[in-house]
Amino acid sequence: MNIYNILVAFDSSKPSFEAVEYTARMIRSIPDVLVTLLFIERLPDKDLFETEALWRTECLDLTTEYKRTLNKAHELFARNEIHENSVNQEYIVSCSSPFEGAKVCATGESIAKDIITIQKEGNHGTIVIGRRGISKEEEFLFGSVSVDLLRQCTGCALWIVNSAEQ
Amino acid sequence: MDTRAYDILAEYLPDFPRRHAGRIVTDTTDFMSIDYGDVIFLDGIHYLVTKNLSERRFGLEDPKYWVKRCKELETGIQRIIKLEFYESFEVSIGKLNSTCYRSPRKESRILAMTEGDKRFMQGRTVMDEMGNCVRILDIIYGTELDIVLDRLTMSHEEYFNTVFPDYFAQFIGAVRAIEHLHHNHEQHGDIRRDHLLIESSTRDWRWIDFDYTFGLRENPFALDLFGLGSILLLLVGQREITAQQLAVVKNSPVGSPAITKEDMALAMPYRLANIQKKYPYIPDALNNICMHFSAKNSVFYSSVAEFVSALVTCFNELPVFKAARGRYPEV
Repeated sequence: MNIYNILVAFDSSKPSFEAVEYTARMIRSIPDVLVTLLFIERLPDKDLFETEALWRTECLDLTTEYKRTLNKAHELFARNEIHENSVNQEYIVSCSSPFEGAKVCATGESIAKDIITIQKEGNHGTIVIGRRGISKEEEFLFGSVSVDLLRQCTGCALWIVNSAEQ
Repeated sequence: MDTRAYDILAEYLPDFPRRHAGRIVTDTTDFMSIDYGDVIFLDGIHYLVTKNLSERRFGLEDPKYWVKRCKELETGIQRIIKLEFYESFEVSIGKLNSTCYRSPRKESRILAMTEGDKRFMQGRTVMDEMGNCVRILDIIYGTELDIVLDRLTMSHEEYFNTVFPDYFAQFIGAVRAIEHLHHNHEQHGDIRRDHLLIESSTRDWRWIDFDYTFGLRENPFALDLFGLGSILLLLVGQREITAQQLAVVKNSPVGSPAITKEDMALAMPYRLANIQKKYPYIPDALNNICMHFSAKNSVFYSSVAEFVSALVTCFNELPVFKAARGRYPEV
């Protein structure tokens, strides 16, 4: 497992931007480092919408925004003088996407499990994720990706970057 | 088609008062206007509307105009008909808020998936002439779990040793039913004590109402698990044990050990989770499961499968369940 093969989980949130920034600053003096910026697409369930058209509109708005912020996060590496060839993007489409049929897709049932699957497949030695800091109640009722990763990730190093907002 | 319901009612229900005969309805979009005496015509069958159903909340009747009690004219069987209604609203769980959605499509899917599985309410979906998703449900003649518990007049100790072991076995079956939904990538969405009915004729425990759903979250099944935990606390305690009741106990001459915030339920600080503190004869293994839903806990069950495994271990090992193990070998 290559510890310099780093997987950064990104979801458009402020803490995930902070995790990208942190990673960029950490690795800028390390040669031969490889970063994969991972976005796992999550789209709202069709069940929530009265018509298919409303659902598709919402999905289109979201995917456009996801891709825009992913590119913005990618630029953070360039701004930290990390060579373009050292940074990849991986955008995993939602299995329920109305737009794209992909061989590999995310079911949306557990982002943590999806991240670990990608980590294993890509032989990543390090996972980086931002954490916004949630209460015990929120963790219990809604779940937490970083807590789930902490429990389940055993095959590599895990960097959890606390949000400055906490 | 005749839009008045006189003739069809005269044919099947000659005694039905003519003055109350309404319309024959084939488009259910405007469900508020469909009322007593109207006949909904769906998939070749006539359903006489006898009333709008209500939900019991905090002692108040909350009318649900999209849910009609009906008589199927061709067979005389009573049905519940749920008409298409989408809505979203904020629900509060303790200090947290979350957006909840009502989705007829989700309920239809679960009805189809659980067809023939008596752990769930049964019914079928038909589309009206406008393509509205209408669910025609079999009525479960039974009583909500909380009402059944509330009617018991015995002491907790007697309840715990006589009634509770059988209820615990039935609860494990009900939890396995939810596990089955999760295994099939579905969630119940509204697990509450009054959405679990004990059928009068069979004594089976059956889940009802699957049309709630929630938005994106890391663990889409966590809210179901939370609901199951709340029902477990109710079952073990025989009824909800509140902070207010505990204050009374505390002031009594024979007080229980000091109760702290950590003994209360997570996200519901007014409810006791550490039930052993009120009833010391609750075995540790069972109380430990309850404590997974307390404010003290920091490692939660990650799935309903994990929760059911803990319940089954308790059932198989604790002396209080010895007789029930013989009556419920399937557990």
